[in-house]
Amino acid sequence: MTAAIAQRDRWFGFAMTLPGLLALLLVVLFPILFTLWTSTSDFTLLKPSNDAFLGLSHYTQAFATPEFRHALSVTLAFVVAVVVLEFLVGFAVALALDKVEHGKAVYYVILLFPLLMNPIVVGLIWKMFLHPTLGIVNYVLSLVGIPPVDWLGVPDNAFWTVVAVDIWHQVSFMIVLLLAGLAALPKEPYEAARLEGAGTIRCFFWITLPLMRPVIVVTLLIRLIFAVKTYDIIYIMTRGGPGQATELVSYYIYRRAFVGLDVSQASAMAVILLLVVLALTAWLHRYMRSLAQ
Amino acid sequence: MKKFLLASSMLIASAFGAEAQTINILMESVPDTRYVQEMLPEFKEKTGIDVQLEVVNYAEMHTKLVPQLVAPEGSYDVIIVDFYWVGEFTKAGWLQPLDERIQADEFPVDNYIPSIMDLTGKVDGTTLMLPFYNYAMGLTYRKDLLEDPKHQEAFKAKYGRDLKVPTEWPEYLDQVKYFSEDAGIEGFKGVVNQGQRPDPISMEWSNYLFANGGRYYDPETWQPTLATPEGIAALTQYRDSIQKYGPIGAANFSFDDAFNVAAQGKAYSYLTFNMFRPVYDDPASSQVVGKMEIAPVPGGGMNGSWGWAIPKSSPDPDAAWEFIKFIESPEIAKKRALLGGAATQKQIYEDPELIEKFSYYPQLGELLAYAQNFPVFTYTPEFVDVLGRELSLAVADGKDPKEALEQVDKDFAELLRKDGKLQ
Repeated sequence: MTAAIAQRDRWFGFAMTLPGLLALLLVVLFPILFTLWTSTSDFTLLKPSNDAFLGLSHYTQAFATPEFRHALSVTLAFVVAVVVLEFLVGFAVALALDKVEHGKAVYYVILLFPLLMNPIVVGLIWKMFLHPTLGIVNYVLSLVGIPPVDWLGVPDNAFWTVVAVDIWHQVSFMIVLLLAGLAALPKEPYEAARLEGAGTIRCFFWITLPLMRPVIVVTLLIRLIFAVKTYDIIYIMTRGGPGQATELVSYYIYRRAFVGLDVSQASAMAVILLLVVLALTAWLHRYMRSLAQ
Repeated sequence: MKKFLLASSMLIASAFGAEAQTINILMESVPDTRYVQEMLPEFKEKTGIDVQLEVVNYAEMHTKLVPQLVAPEGSYDVIIVDFYWVGEFTKAGWLQPLDERIQADEFPVDNYIPSIMDLTGKVDGTTLMLPFYNYAMGLTYRKDLLEDPKHQEAFKAKYGRDLKVPTEWPEYLDQVKYFSEDAGIEGFKGVVNQGQRPDPISMEWSNYLFANGGRYYDPETWQPTLATPEGIAALTQYRDSIQKYGPIGAANFSFDDAFNVAAQGKAYSYLTFNMFRPVYDDPASSQVVGKMEIAPVPGGGMNGSWGWAIPKSSPDPDAAWEFIKFIESPEIAKKRALLGGAATQKQIYEDPELIEKFSYYPQLGELLAYAQNFPVFTYTPEFVDVLGRELSLAVADGKDPKEALEQVDKDFAELLRKDGKLQ
């Protein structure tokens, strides 16, 4: 009797999730499979159909293209910079906010503002602020006697400026997730540790960090995946320049498809990017789990 | 009852039939689109055809157009084509030839300025578009400073020539140097450039190339010719303009970043699209009202324009032609120009009423007559991308100009071979 009910429940569960699963198949799996197919074919915007099977030639060609390799390396540097810096800043702010007794909601609202803004708007606003002769940032610096800074016109500056704008925009994501994690930590271990005479620093390294590890893993993973896809602020602020200083890979792939018209080549590059992200995700996940054990 | 049903269904059918006389056009959000919008009631009155304009940003246009052009029946009856896309659109065979319609209606195509007709009109002898508006580049400069006796004297003493509207390229370069280094105006520069990749820098540098007597390719063989003494001189001068004589940050300036510097009265000159000329006189966005003027770039500036076309996927090509014929008729073209439109027909630049209203019209006419064209082929957008990258590397990242241009020539040749232009 109970087996029959369980069976019926299972079918009911299937039926209820089916529409969702179908939608997922349609909007996630189908595009991925189509991209895979296109990446081995000859789809261009001049001839938008998959007619010939070209094997892995688009993949070998991608790695033979210096601009693509360059874009990959710039992206790697960008992702490491934003994820590490946002994590450090985000964790510090989250720890500070965790101790706040009153008015937490006010802090939340202020912190969430940048996150609610469209990246295009963020790029436009900061481009205006950072205009070297007409922008407010250099004007404020001039009030304290600092000569004007060329934020986006010099390759090194441009890279770090874009990183900084991304941090401004995205750090609250880290803060909010980490803060939620901190709020959910049990109080007892801390009380026990205090009784044993442990200080704040020891509590942090021996209790907070180990307990927070799963939250940290998830936060880093999500942020990493989003950082690899960064496109909007580059498009608005630098178009990959000056020189090739901010040439991120997703912007490069977009141009292969819609400027170079070569959708198959762009698909191959997109698949490579997907594999890199998957590999990074798997590695980070394992590494963090091994630490936890 | 049957009769009633028949009558009512006919009524419904005729209502739908009347509604079918609507044409859809995808357009860019620029002033010239606004002027077209203002003409629509008159078109509706004349022909009974409704026009739906879908207005989007430039960046979205290509992505929106292509799927509609590929489809057997798209949603746009009329499209506008940037000269960038002409090669691609014609190679793909997306546009309908207009010659028969032009002949049947005796449409006055000879009114168009020839270089603009070459850019967004005729392709290999077939008329595929009619020019819509131009965005040829000109030299905008501070007229008040040029006419100031103090500067005229100081300039003559230092450079041994008169300070006047430049007609020779070296004369202009001297003026840039003078206003950056010798004029003694604090925080003021001789030039502001738009050094951002890929379009701003490519379009602006083209003026330097043409002014030095350089060209993109040999017109006989399509062999690229950028890594030549003229090209290298052009890139060296351009780099100096940005690094030595321009404001900081110009290596990443887009059109509006650079324009704002000029409009805030912080630079003597800016090579830019002629449609910006009226904006200098708009107090809402300019501190130099009445002080800027436009002149042809010495040596011939860079041409640019948009064209009207009927795609093969157009649901209603006849109505589409009615619209193009109307909007480009000399009468309506003049009305649009009176609103501020960037005209493409010769007679407009000689029209007394327009010259009275826009004092700079004679210079504009001259500018358009001498403007030179950017290479138009299937892979023009990709070529701009390559060119922009290498120019930016030379300007901002220390790459040797000769090496950068050799790389451009190499990539350019490869794209031309892919297109079958170069053997």
